[in-house]
Amino acid sequence: MGGMASGDPLVLGIETSCDETGVALVRGNELLVDATASSMDEHARYGGIIPEVASRAHLEAMIPTIGKALGQADVDLSEVDAIAVTAGPGLVGPLTIGTSAAKALAVGLNKPLYGVNHVIGHAAVDQLVDGEFPERVMALVVSGGHSSLLLVDDVATKVTELGSTLDDAAGEAFDKVGRLLGLPYPGGPHIDRLAREGDPEAIRFPRGLTAAKDQEKHAYDFSFSGLKTAVARWVESCRDSGREVPVGDVAASFAAAVVDVLTAKTIAACRRHEVETLVVGGGFSANSQLRELAAKRCAEAGIDLRIPPIRYCTDNGAMIAALGSAVVRAGVAPSSLDFGVDSQMPLTTVSL
Amino acid sequence: MAVLSIDTSAAVAVAVVSETGERLAARSVDERRRHAESLAPLVTAVLADAGTDRTALTAVVAGTGPAPFTGLRAGLVTARTLALALGVPVLGVPSLDALAVQAVADLGLAPDDEVLVAADARRKEVYWARYRVVSHESTHGVPVVEAVAGPDVAKAADVAAGLAERPSAGRLAVVGEGASLYADVLDLDEDAPLLPDPAVLARVALQRRDAGQELPTEPLYLRRPDVHVPAGGPRVVPATGAVAG
Repeated sequence: MGGMASGDPLVLGIETSCDETGVALVRGNELLVDATASSMDEHARYGGIIPEVASRAHLEAMIPTIGKALGQADVDLSEVDAIAVTAGPGLVGPLTIGTSAAKALAVGLNKPLYGVNHVIGHAAVDQLVDGEFPERVMALVVSGGHSSLLLVDDVATKVTELGSTLDDAAGEAFDKVGRLLGLPYPGGPHIDRLAREGDPEAIRFPRGLTAAKDQEKHAYDFSFSGLKTAVARWVESCRDSGREVPVGDVAASFAAAVVDVLTAKTIAACRRHEVETLVVGGGFSANSQLRELAAKRCAEAGIDLRIPPIRYCTDNGAMIAALGSAVVRAGVAPSSLDFGVDSQMPLTTVSL
Repeated sequence: MAVLSIDTSAAVAVAVVSETGERLAARSVDERRRHAESLAPLVTAVLADAGTDRTALTAVVAGTGPAPFTGLRAGLVTARTLALALGVPVLGVPSLDALAVQAVADLGLAPDDEVLVAADARRKEVYWARYRVVSHESTHGVPVVEAVAGPDVAKAADVAAGLAERPSAGRLAVVGEGASLYADVLDLDEDAPLLPDPAVLARVALQRRDAGQELPTEPLYLRRPDVHVPAGGPRVVPATGAVAG
């Protein structure tokens, strides 16, 4: 279990792949502090993340957020043993702020630097809550930017990508359907709230890539673009015929289609690869229908389900410090100071 | 006892300068799109060249632009964070100021002469500012200049047209890469400095620090972010004459 292993190195993690500036300190699997600044309020009125706005906010927030983390944990920078930072995937401008700051810390403190993978961090963060992973785990990472199924033999050294979304990420589909229904950005939490008042079986929306013909090539891939279009058609036809859109039913039925596909494919992958532990991470794991259906289906399949509390699932420094801690403890070589950010960083690359 | 100086307003340029302004080491990489990759290795290389241990640094100096955003930010966040890690102050100086000061020495300008500095702003524009020479030499061997117009961003031809309204009739030197790019409209001086020298940037910072001036490291963006606001989103199915709800 995560613990008081005081002999473990103290790792400072920095996350800036999207709109959150995150700085956290982790020792072993113990989270000392997790400080976050967000520029979401500045993006909400645009209906999406504006990279340049996010980049400007990261520059302004970086030093205050580092200072806040150190202050809350009562840690001096000289006590830090290693720096971990998101190298990708994500937005280039925002990633550049985090990696530049991390490199400067590494140079200034003369400590090793680890450029790590954001998506794998979403899985690794669970170690701070539920303790060290067993030998093999399946990780479903779902957020506004990612929907990926990862077979994790060792979170620090061996991750295999079984599948990913071919088009929209799950959270992205929620944002787009939210816009369609006239909900504020980001739409995910609003749809989740409305869905509780609706009937998830009221409308049978399509389940992408679940047909028999897709099982060979895309057994573990996702596609939410067709679903989004189907919802749009349904809502438009409803409006065109002068009927009031049953927003609750649409939200619940749409969400049901998304989480049905996510959980069915994930459970199938666990069975196929004989994995008994599933970790769900990423901002979309805040969705209540996903949490409920994953719990139900994992219980039926005899799979141990690990979903950390919501505050660990959003983008934050804790996930990067957690993965950095795992990488350092595994004895992986540090990254070179000249590494570049990689907006499309492969999900098989844990650290650079 | 030395200061580290970083300018990423154009190339990636790093210098280590003694507290009295002597250049101990400097390197630059003419790399306009990969500042974040080049900068940290360049910092360690220049410190090694200077034989300066990082713990001997007394300040970190950063050029604050104006400049293309991503490279500028890489320099500023590096300078700020390095200063935090070392527990020393971070001092900001507009990158155009360094070029104006370089021009005074390089071109032998006299008090009340003026310097137009133009840097490449991409998108067929220049970042520019105009300075008056206040004195030829001051502490740290640094000429003193004061900005009389700008900094701003504009088409080179518009900057050239604006010079006609200049009240002073004294000598006007034109320097900077932005002037060399648009030499058809901006009359670049022969032997004019084209890029900011981080050692000069450091000297200006030391002089201003010693004079008690505030040296903020806020970036000089001069342009608002490009924002594409999504409109209501296209219909999936074209409306067929029926009135939507």
